[in-house]
Amino acid sequence: MLMISPRMASGMQEKQYTPSLLSFFIYNPKFGPREGEEEKKILFYHPIEIEKNEKIRNVGLCEAIVQFTRTFCPTKPAKSLHTQKNRQFFHEPEENYWMVMVVRNPMVEKPNKDGKPPTVEYQEEEIIDSVYGSVLQQCYSMYKLFNGTFSRAFEAGGVELLTQKLEKFFYRYLQTLHLQSCDLLDVFGGISFFPLDKMTYLKIQSFVNRVEESLSLVKYTAFLYNDQLIWSGLEQDDMRILYKYLTTSLFPRHTEPELAGRDSPLRPEVAGNLLHYGRFLTGPANLKDPEAKFRFPRIFVNTEDSCEELHLIVYKAMSAAVCFMINASVDLNREFCEKLDSLVGPQLTLLASDICEQYNINRRISGPEKEPQFKFIYFNHMNLAEKSTIHMRKMASVSLTSVHPDLMKILGDINCDFARVDEDEEIIVKAMTDYWVVGKKSDQRELYVILNQKNANLIEVNEEVKRLCATQFNNIFFLD
Amino acid sequence: MHRNRGSWGFQPEDTLIEDSGEFPSSLELNGQKTELLAGCAMDVPGLSHRNEDVTSESWRKHRKHVFVLSDAGKPIYSRYGNEEALSSTMGVMMALVSFVQAGGNTIQSIFSDEHTVVFLQQGPLVFVSVSTTHQSEQQLRGELLHVYHQIVSMLTQASIKRIFEHRKNYDLRRLLFGSERVLDSLLDVMDFDPSFMLSAVQCLPLPSSSRDILSNILQKSITPNLVFSFLIAQNRLVSIVQEKTVAEDTRLKPSDLHLLLNLIRASSAFQAGEIWMPICLPLFNHDCYFYAYVANLDPPECTICLVLLSTDKEAFYAMAECKRKIEQAFMSQNALECVANSQMYCVEDVGVNNLRHFLYKPSNVMEHHRQLPQFTCPEMAVPYKSQEERIRLLDLYRNMHNRIHSTSRPLKLIYHSADGETLLAWVTGKFEMYACFTSLVTKKSAISELTKLLRWIKKEEDRLFICHLPKYSTTSQSGRVSTDRGRSDRANASDAGFMSLL
Repeated sequence: MLMISPRMASGMQEKQYTPSLLSFFIYNPKFGPREGEEEKKILFYHPIEIEKNEKIRNVGLCEAIVQFTRTFCPTKPAKSLHTQKNRQFFHEPEENYWMVMVVRNPMVEKPNKDGKPPTVEYQEEEIIDSVYGSVLQQCYSMYKLFNGTFSRAFEAGGVELLTQKLEKFFYRYLQTLHLQSCDLLDVFGGISFFPLDKMTYLKIQSFVNRVEESLSLVKYTAFLYNDQLIWSGLEQDDMRILYKYLTTSLFPRHTEPELAGRDSPLRPEVAGNLLHYGRFLTGPANLKDPEAKFRFPRIFVNTEDSCEELHLIVYKAMSAAVCFMINASVDLNREFCEKLDSLVGPQLTLLASDICEQYNINRRISGPEKEPQFKFIYFNHMNLAEKSTIHMRKMASVSLTSVHPDLMKILGDINCDFARVDEDEEIIVKAMTDYWVVGKKSDQRELYVILNQKNANLIEVNEEVKRLCATQFNNIFFLD
Repeated sequence: MHRNRGSWGFQPEDTLIEDSGEFPSSLELNGQKTELLAGCAMDVPGLSHRNEDVTSESWRKHRKHVFVLSDAGKPIYSRYGNEEALSSTMGVMMALVSFVQAGGNTIQSIFSDEHTVVFLQQGPLVFVSVSTTHQSEQQLRGELLHVYHQIVSMLTQASIKRIFEHRKNYDLRRLLFGSERVLDSLLDVMDFDPSFMLSAVQCLPLPSSSRDILSNILQKSITPNLVFSFLIAQNRLVSIVQEKTVAEDTRLKPSDLHLLLNLIRASSAFQAGEIWMPICLPLFNHDCYFYAYVANLDPPECTICLVLLSTDKEAFYAMAECKRKIEQAFMSQNALECVANSQMYCVEDVGVNNLRHFLYKPSNVMEHHRQLPQFTCPEMAVPYKSQEERIRLLDLYRNMHNRIHSTSRPLKLIYHSADGETLLAWVTGKFEMYACFTSLVTKKSAISELTKLLRWIKKEEDRLFICHLPKYSTTSQSGRVSTDRGRSDRANASDAGFMSLL
């Protein structure tokens, strides 16, 4: 019997809630081992409004869970706790320092008739552990990039300095987490490389060499074009987190003004230099103003062995951006910046337009860029190279994908299955919507292809993927 | 040799309450109990793992631990090691459960690189699984639910509830005394038998004419209050006959059948005599007992077993008489010969080269599959003959089963090529199947072999599945027989119809 109630007429529908951050805390049990000292263990806790005893209880639960799992495997304790309403992720980045992220499970609220409170249905399966576990690990990596390790802060200034640094960093960083749009790419934490021909690549290499020779202070250099990496002198793990910072935080902050119209107040002050288009993204915003104060952000690299603290200079000309990293003990003054500006500006401007021209030539040769034919994600564990034709723009705020989120989760499932063994594998699935998803793992590389071919069978799907591999991947993947 | 009824330590529900009033204080109780248990465990052969050192590396490295405790934190069962020695670990488990509960939430599982810990609470009992198998949370919880149901099959849910209502820190081991091996056996069987994963029953392949002869004989040998007759051979179902009105009320679920078989297997273990024991079928009716008459028909081999279920506790002699009649009829028609000669088939019978093993379960489109979900599979072939390999293959099937039946993103087909083998999982409106090929198979060959397999199954289907589930009519006790909630409306209707039969 169909009943039309006023509520139905007003369109009262199910409300879908996406996963969100419930709490985030960092603790070290060694700092408060005795009873009555529990509060001392807590180094950072968000949200700050939570009552002290509740914080202590939540930390206590985490400790108990880690201890419990140690009963069965002392070296590999808990990584996540699943409850009906939320999921907790555990990460021990340094000995005895624990980071915990609590995510509220996505849920659906179904309205009830007669004024009864709505029924809530929790959707635990929507959260994939490997994705959010990686997000938590990345929180640490990002903190470490700008602050060095926890131990270092503790050694330098005790608990007070450490808690200060944690508070300062995480208060802002947690606001940039967009848990509803995390997916497989977060598991990879890869770098998108800009495809180049040999000549242009050599030009860039020699540019870097020349600059490093002239500015002997420069320790490391990284060269990017259009949010993609071309060359880096840093270790992989350091570059990957720096890359994430540049592409999700620094570049977007500066791109918007650039794209603004000529008369817009957002448009950056033109440096007044007609010789080149170079400018500093970090450091002095306007070289012409002698009174303006500036400083470069400090980053920490090679934290495993030498732990170097460096100034991060990011200098951009058109679509090309170069990072110069100089020992933090050096004082970088205006004079140095002017020298760098006059040396790098013109060269980089020329180089940027060269690259642009070459890129356009290549595109003309390979044919007009139609809608990418294949939807795929590729990742190479060896050089961290990642490529996705599914994600439209990967920024901090929103990762737009051109496929249904459920398909992305299926990719996540396949990735988890791949992670279980080291051997080459292939997993092909047909989803309920008749989409086919093909996952291939071969020799440290992973490829995921989504095909929307409703009436295709297994053989046809196989042929399609073979074609893709032949054109784009030069037969790296050669399973049948 | 009869199973010692006294060892059950229970009486019908009403007297149980009185009994518990006479229990000595918990301290003494524990003192007596520990001694008793220790004495028993060491005497029974094959239970040496009961005394395994729980602090040892080898204990930690077991593939799957299962713990049962009461919600007062009292240990009840541990698959490996003495549960008393684990009482502090169990205390921690209960503390974790309570802590999360206090926050208005429910703990579900803990994941680490090597282990998955899954929690389940059913009434006053808490179940914990610590597994290295990488099975999904849902599957592990399903296994814990089976353990719960096995306990219910021995005690009934109503008893358990009442006991703990009356006395919150009751030591349930008193009632489960001697039953550890039933749970041990269940946990072992769940590892290497796909029936649990598929929630289906595998029958012994027999020409349908032969099976019909056996079923007819069973169908005719009835006595008042008989509700189920089973003939089992080589641990597989040969025939099943049900009471008409009971069958209308609710179906017998495969899970109940598995628990029944496990209980018989773990209790009787190749004895040549008769057994009369109470058993509860948890999904059918979790609050009351049936009484099972179990007899081996072919001593001393003891591979063929007759099970008769009655609702009447006093019907032992009537059941024995039934059995005599059945045996006589079997002999005069030489009906058991086909059973004795029957064997499981091999994958070679299908006539394909790369296929190594498969599981095939028809969907419930056909009436007989709706009444009794079944599946078929061949003998494990060479690479999977060892227990270890068999479990490994089943783990692979289980992983695919989990993905294909995901609640949020189910799939229709999975094709997985790996180093060891190539696997396929496929769900359609007509069937669900899992197949294992050599790793060198090409997709083309795999598809063509699969087609051949499906044709072969269709051809052999009369033999591979029980296609006909006969019924008989016996005047059973009046009133509701099952607690199957899902069919409560129908049950009410049939109750009325049932009453009119009397």
